[in-house]
Amino acid sequence: MSDTVLVVGGGPAGLEAAHAIADMSARAILVERRAVLGGTPDESSYAALTPRMGSAQEALDLLRAGVQDPNVEIHLETQLTACSGSVGNFSVTLEGPAGVTTETVGSIVVATGFQHFDPGRETQMYGYYEYPDVITLPDAEKMLSEHRFVRPSNGEPPRNVAFIQCVGSRDRRLGNEYCSKVCCGVASKEAIEIRRLLPDAKVYIFYIDMRMYGYWENEIYWPAQEQYNVNYIRGIVTEIVARDGRLLMKGEDTTMGRPLEVLMDVIVLSVGMEPSRGTRDVAGILGVDQNKYGFIATPGDPMDPVGTSVPGIFVAGAAAGPKDLEDTMSMAGAAAMRALRAIRGQARAEVGATR
Amino acid sequence: MGRELPMMKVDRVIELEHAVVDGVDISGHWNRMFTDRSIEEYPTEAMDWVTGLAGGESLRSCYQCGKCVPVCPVNHVGSYGPRKLHVKVLRGNNLLDDPDLWLCTTCGNCLRVCPKEVNPLEFMPAIREQAVLEGNVPAELAKVFENLQRQGNPHGHSPRKRADWVADAGVPVPLIAEIGRPVDVLWYVSDYTSYHPRGQDAARAMARILTALGIDFAILGNEERSDADSARLAGETGLFEMLAEQNIKTFRKYEFERLVVMDPHAFNAFKNVYPRHGWEGEVLHYTQFLAPLIDRIEFKSSVDVDVTYHDPCYLGRNNGEFDAPRRLLEAIPGVRLAEMPHNKKNGYCCGGGGGGMWLDGFVADHVSERLSERRVREAVETVAMDGTGVLSVACPYEPSRFEDAVKSTGNDGRLIVRDIVELIDQAMQPATS
Repeated sequence: MSDTVLVVGGGPAGLEAAHAIADMSARAILVERRAVLGGTPDESSYAALTPRMGSAQEALDLLRAGVQDPNVEIHLETQLTACSGSVGNFSVTLEGPAGVTTETVGSIVVATGFQHFDPGRETQMYGYYEYPDVITLPDAEKMLSEHRFVRPSNGEPPRNVAFIQCVGSRDRRLGNEYCSKVCCGVASKEAIEIRRLLPDAKVYIFYIDMRMYGYWENEIYWPAQEQYNVNYIRGIVTEIVARDGRLLMKGEDTTMGRPLEVLMDVIVLSVGMEPSRGTRDVAGILGVDQNKYGFIATPGDPMDPVGTSVPGIFVAGAAAGPKDLEDTMSMAGAAAMRALRAIRGQARAEVGATR
Repeated sequence: MGRELPMMKVDRVIELEHAVVDGVDISGHWNRMFTDRSIEEYPTEAMDWVTGLAGGESLRSCYQCGKCVPVCPVNHVGSYGPRKLHVKVLRGNNLLDDPDLWLCTTCGNCLRVCPKEVNPLEFMPAIREQAVLEGNVPAELAKVFENLQRQGNPHGHSPRKRADWVADAGVPVPLIAEIGRPVDVLWYVSDYTSYHPRGQDAARAMARILTALGIDFAILGNEERSDADSARLAGETGLFEMLAEQNIKTFRKYEFERLVVMDPHAFNAFKNVYPRHGWEGEVLHYTQFLAPLIDRIEFKSSVDVDVTYHDPCYLGRNNGEFDAPRRLLEAIPGVRLAEMPHNKKNGYCCGGGGGGMWLDGFVADHVSERLSERRVREAVETVAMDGTGVLSVACPYEPSRFEDAVKSTGNDGRLIVRDIVELIDQAMQPATS
């Protein structure tokens, strides 16, 4: 019987879960594959957060500060390599700079996150690996975090910028049938940032449906359109070809019912989310069910968004599917609470059994 | 069920005695204009009807992203587009009386990019079959169906003349019925290769290549019937089944290791559709059969030409074979191979598939130019800008189809159309000078 919780993954979900566990006076072991905490927002140099444009780096600093707690034992450059046992008494093997160690934990929170869709897997011909000026949302994010936005091919500011939505999402052919949930908002947010940096640039967003749920509608979509003059055009691009040193984008403007062939300087592919390598690997090691897309399954949905197929193992954040930061934070708190309740419930059961 | 278009409300009619724009009197049908037409009803019966047909199901899945339109070859020359078809049906048009029903060549390029896998290779034949059952078919296509029905080939020639081309092949072409023993290769010669003068050139070249390679082969001769795959895609399912039954009966009479076919449409039928009718066996397109043997061919001359290659939709995109034809071309001495901008998976349809081969007159009323003409222009720009180039093909529909387009686009003498087997055969002959 152990009252320690293993948290796998040091991104926003894992940091928040470990902090919450410590906050509830329990012990957490936080395991992170990379040498720094922060996860994908750190690794991909996120600039401003959607929807309120707060600094991603400041938010990550707060999350990192939250695990500076005697109750949190942090293992960097460490991976989970084996797991046995059951709720209340899992034996987990960790491999890191200190070598191979085995720990006993009562429950586990999986927070291994997502990876950005690789546009090399597109069915369209967007030429991500062919044209330097075809970039992805995270590529744009990296430039914006440095307060610049240029054509990668020549370093010049672009005149025309296009975002193409749903790259790698909502696509039966690719196997990613789901909506990645955040890309409409993130593209709109980046469009605003580009318009702030380059007031002379024209920015277009080509979409199938703008999926701006809840407050993202009025906090991001409307300001982008109304204050920053971002042009939303319904219709998705099928092909990009080089023309006169620029990019000719071919598609259909479905509102007008007419083909479009427009020259752009930078084209941003709004790539969606896929389960990270870590999510796939850790799911296998822990023996938790994955859904058909490889994300960790949450069989109790919609009433239990954090329980996995294995009692005592919980999931938080984008390891369970496309999530925004709001979802991720909520899940992390819930997973922490459920992880402790699993241990304490088990403890009570064991006490009852010995009586 | 009704065929009415959606109910349109005309709020106001403007009727001018004279319509004058910038001082010019343009009276005619411009005199009468409608304003503010509002849709008052969305009849859902047409979509229910289409998706109730076997094969029609996927049409409902469209979510209007529009990716299909820019890659649709017909959209390049007109206003047809798969996405728009979904809208039409959703607004109550069941397509039975709509020219759009006959414009799709089932080339499959829209399906390639469709995130919802809306599949015209299935829903087009399903709807067309209903038009066929009603006898509501363009006259030129109906004539071809009749030829297939009566003679077992689209040309309406006698089945007894199917192997007449053999006389000029210069090599013996054994008939399987006559040799009375199993063979390695049963060579299914196909319709256009058997009957069309330009197709026959490829048949004779193939006969010489097979002989030079020492292949143990035979043909069916008069017993061969059309694969009728294009008729199936044009909606004549019953006819396809009838001919499939005859061919399968013939295939079963003889022993052979594999079937080698000239026509990608026949390849598609035998490989993908015949198994549903009870026949399964190894089927190879001739390019697939020859590619591994190409090193054994003794070339005696160099063709010395710039060549581009047109991927047939039913060999390339719809059956995944892109390499074999290119391996053959690259092995021919003197071939300098260059790719057109639309190649391999994104190959541009010649317009002949899905019944298009027999609808040129009908289609002409709805497009600005033939797909074959557009393709020929692309070939000219790729290999013939500074002299003479070759458009190489691997489908018997294409030599005559593209040669017509070469003439009609004014490129006579500039672009030569050759089946790959013709090029191989040419390089096997000693230099003529």
